[in-house]
Amino acid sequence: MSRIELVNLRKEYGNVVAVKEMDLTIEDGEFIVFVGPSGCGKTTTLRMIAGFEDPTNGEILIDGEVVNEKEPGDRDLGMVFQSHALFPHKNVADNIAFGLRMQKVPQDEQARRVKEIAELVRITHLLGKMPGQCSGGESQRIALARTLVTEPSNFLLDEPLSSLDAKLRRELRAECDRLHDELQKTFIYVTHDQEEAMTLADRIIVMNQGKIVQQGTPLEIYGDPVSYFVADFFGNPAMNLIEGEFVKSGDGLEFKSGHFDVPLPAKFNAVAPGKGTFGIRPENVVIGASGQGATLEREVELVEPLGKDTLLYFETEQSRPFVSVVEGTEDVKRHANVTLSFPDDAIFLFAADGDRIR
Amino acid sequence: MAMTKSQRRMSFSAFRYLVLTFWLCIVAFPIFWMVSTSFKPDKEWFAWPPVYISENATMMNYLVVWADVSEYATNEDGDLETYTQSLQRPWEALGNSALISVIATTLSVLFGAVLAYGVSRYQILSEGRMFQLLMLRMVPPIVLVAPISIWYSALGLLDSITGLVMLYFLTTLPYAVWMSKSFIDEVPREMEQAAEILGASRARTIWEVVLPLVRSGLVATFLFILILTWSEYLLALLLSKTAVVTLPVELSKYQGSTEGRVYGRQAALSVGITLPLIVVGMIIRKHLARGFSFGMVRR
Amino acid sequence: MTAQTTMSAAPINQRAATRAQGIRRFKWTVLTPFLALMIFILGPALLLQGYFSFFSFSIFDAGDDTSFLSYFRASQWVGLDLWADALTDSKFGFAIVRSLMFAVGVTVGCFIIGFALALLMYRPFRGQGFYYIFFILPMLTVPIVIAYTGEMILYQNGPLNDILSRITGLRIEAQFLYKQEIALTTIGFMEIWNWTPFSFIIMMAGLASLPKEPQEAAQILGANRFQIFFEVQLPLLRPVILLALILRFLESMAEFPKTWGLLQGGPGSATETIPVYIFINAWQYFDISYAAVLSYVVLILMVAIVMSAIWLLRREKKNLDAMYDAKPEEG
Repeated sequence: MSRIELVNLRKEYGNVVAVKEMDLTIEDGEFIVFVGPSGCGKTTTLRMIAGFEDPTNGEILIDGEVVNEKEPGDRDLGMVFQSHALFPHKNVADNIAFGLRMQKVPQDEQARRVKEIAELVRITHLLGKMPGQCSGGESQRIALARTLVTEPSNFLLDEPLSSLDAKLRRELRAECDRLHDELQKTFIYVTHDQEEAMTLADRIIVMNQGKIVQQGTPLEIYGDPVSYFVADFFGNPAMNLIEGEFVKSGDGLEFKSGHFDVPLPAKFNAVAPGKGTFGIRPENVVIGASGQGATLEREVELVEPLGKDTLLYFETEQSRPFVSVVEGTEDVKRHANVTLSFPDDAIFLFAADGDRIR
Repeated sequence: MAMTKSQRRMSFSAFRYLVLTFWLCIVAFPIFWMVSTSFKPDKEWFAWPPVYISENATMMNYLVVWADVSEYATNEDGDLETYTQSLQRPWEALGNSALISVIATTLSVLFGAVLAYGVSRYQILSEGRMFQLLMLRMVPPIVLVAPISIWYSALGLLDSITGLVMLYFLTTLPYAVWMSKSFIDEVPREMEQAAEILGASRARTIWEVVLPLVRSGLVATFLFILILTWSEYLLALLLSKTAVVTLPVELSKYQGSTEGRVYGRQAALSVGITLPLIVVGMIIRKHLARGFSFGMVRR
Repeated sequence: MTAQTTMSAAPINQRAATRAQGIRRFKWTVLTPFLALMIFILGPALLLQGYFSFFSFSIFDAGDDTSFLSYFRASQWVGLDLWADALTDSKFGFAIVRSLMFAVGVTVGCFIIGFALALLMYRPFRGQGFYYIFFILPMLTVPIVIAYTGEMILYQNGPLNDILSRITGLRIEAQFLYKQEIALTTIGFMEIWNWTPFSFIIMMAGLASLPKEPQEAAQILGANRFQIFFEVQLPLLRPVILLALILRFLESMAEFPKTWGLLQGGPGSATETIPVYIFINAWQYFDISYAAVLSYVVLILMVAIVMSAIWLLRREKKNLDAMYDAKPEEG
């Protein structure tokens, strides 16, 4: 059993506030992913849990016990670092056995457990090598093994895959998932990659500027973002977000941005007019009159076939184009005029301060 | 007159070997001359044209200097004459030199490295203080030798090993701190944290993770400082002239001694002084570069 | 909730406080021997130096009594007289100029040769290791040994004159060391020979550490070798260059074994550099007081030079750190 609680946690570096009054409970066996842009406080939070940073205020509880005063080694944690941090002067087996040695596990048991873990992470063939002779992916597996072998209740992973290339990253992501399923331990994972967060997490904690802005399952975060920031951060291609103004038009409300004027669904009738943002995910934009929701006639600026899907780009006169995703089988030509329709329940509105308007 | 790429490369390569070999001669010649002279019999020391490689090579110079052997020879007037064995005690000087430089260097590197670790990890000295420390090394020692010798005479430290060791420690500590810091800085903090979270104590982490990674660097620092203390001349000359003589001072006694100029003897002694350092230098040459750049080089 | 937070505030600060206390204790433990020596050896020496710069004293004044206290009894208040003497002492002035010229010449010489060799050598080629070993040898040679070996080579009937004679076909009997006009230059060349490896090693490390991509990028953009050198490599090497220059300059200001060991300031006063001049006053004329004043003047001069050097170095280091420490991925 292991439950991690962060109570009113705050961290300042001089005048800079890295983490602002954070409250969070992480249940046993959960796969938690902290995600956010650089400098949002996610790594600082992880390092406070690990004990490498002292919080300025607030406390950290593991299993109901305040651990602020405990050294990192006494917190029943394992950690995988971004740089792997393998000991370059010890061979792979000695690297993995290091933690066991610190716990004064008998020699023969050390050897047995190292072998066991090496099989689990599939690096048995590397045991006699030096870390310098291993590739990036292999080093990452070794780092994982070194952490796993001491059987801590909680695993902290600080952007463990960010130094690897895309293919390896996918492969090791699946590996992480598999290990979590097999071990049923708590994983706390930090990343700035939304895709990693989406695929791995039981629960995503989205952070920005030292605060939790939203938490929930990947689908909750994706389908129901609470702010412009979250909506923009998740999804690839990103949500179409067009700056403009909400204007009264008769009983209803209309969105105007010069080039892109759309009547809004009736559920937004009560919204106050003013500046704001209109958002819709590319995959929710329907090409051709669907019979429901607002429609717009536009010329296709660019066609980008990706195989399974095809991306269509439209001019918006703003810094980013409007994108729509269609089936790869659909044949749309550049400069063709198409009708875009926006289903009512796919439309997101955001106020000028970034908050979601429901 | 355009050259092809491979022609250009060839001519650059030829130019490089030419220049490097020229400098090689300049570097090697004095050392060659020292070694060659040390084997020359006395008649060849001042011969014209100079003798480059003696055909009558002799070990006599070494024996006289290092083994206290007296040599008989004929002087210009044809009389048999003894080279009076001067009151030199090279082995004692060698012992003093070795003792003083090893003790001072050990202390300097020991405290320097620990201090450097503190600076690197806990910023126990600000950057400003670090530079002030370096400054200590940069002020010429001559400006303080006279009052130090007066003060030492009051303390009874004149002509003592302790007195020299203390000063060598002070003057080399800045280099020790700066050099070892540049090695410690290269050990990623994450490496230490990885050990820490696996349950290693502070001492354990330093012993098992940091030390093995900086060992070669510390050895380089140690030997570089050994070079400095081994060859130090000014302080040794002024603070310990009679009882505790070091090798460089011992060598300088041959200059302008009553025996006249004795090139062969000087050369034999010089070889003895230089040899240990050259051996040491060859061992550490790979590490010297990193330690010298004082963090002004990033890799 | 509120109560809990207030309660927890204490232990949080306590852990940080314990750690801070531990670090402080560690700091002072490590610094103690150093500070003790500073206070008990260098401190009193500086004070003595100050005392004798206002109280005239020469070893001769003490007569047969050589006890420490006799020095004070024999000394005489002269106020600022000695300071005035020092500041109007033209020999001292020349010594300062000589030292500065010597140091500048040696620094530039070491740097140009060292840098040129490093430029020729920093890319791997056949024989690199062989040349490297030889090129660092001079630094491993004891200065006083270099001085005496130098004398053997430069001697009137020595090999240098022989080689020059063979090349020119004339009988050359140059007196490199005993001619006033060139004595200091000769010592300067010995110093350059001795310390070029230092600049060479630093510049090798600097060149080897330069990232390759910017150079290749410049090459693709059509820059030739010289343009790449002056516009890409040189600016990136500035901190190392500065370090090599400053360290070398300051060390050669203090050069003593070669000048003294060989020429004791002569011929005439051609090699009376600052260290030699102070040495002569203190240890040949035994004029402790005058040497003390000279030392103070030099100390002030050197501190000024070193301070500006440090200011320059710190600025470069800051630039360097700013260039390379692109903010790490801070979550």
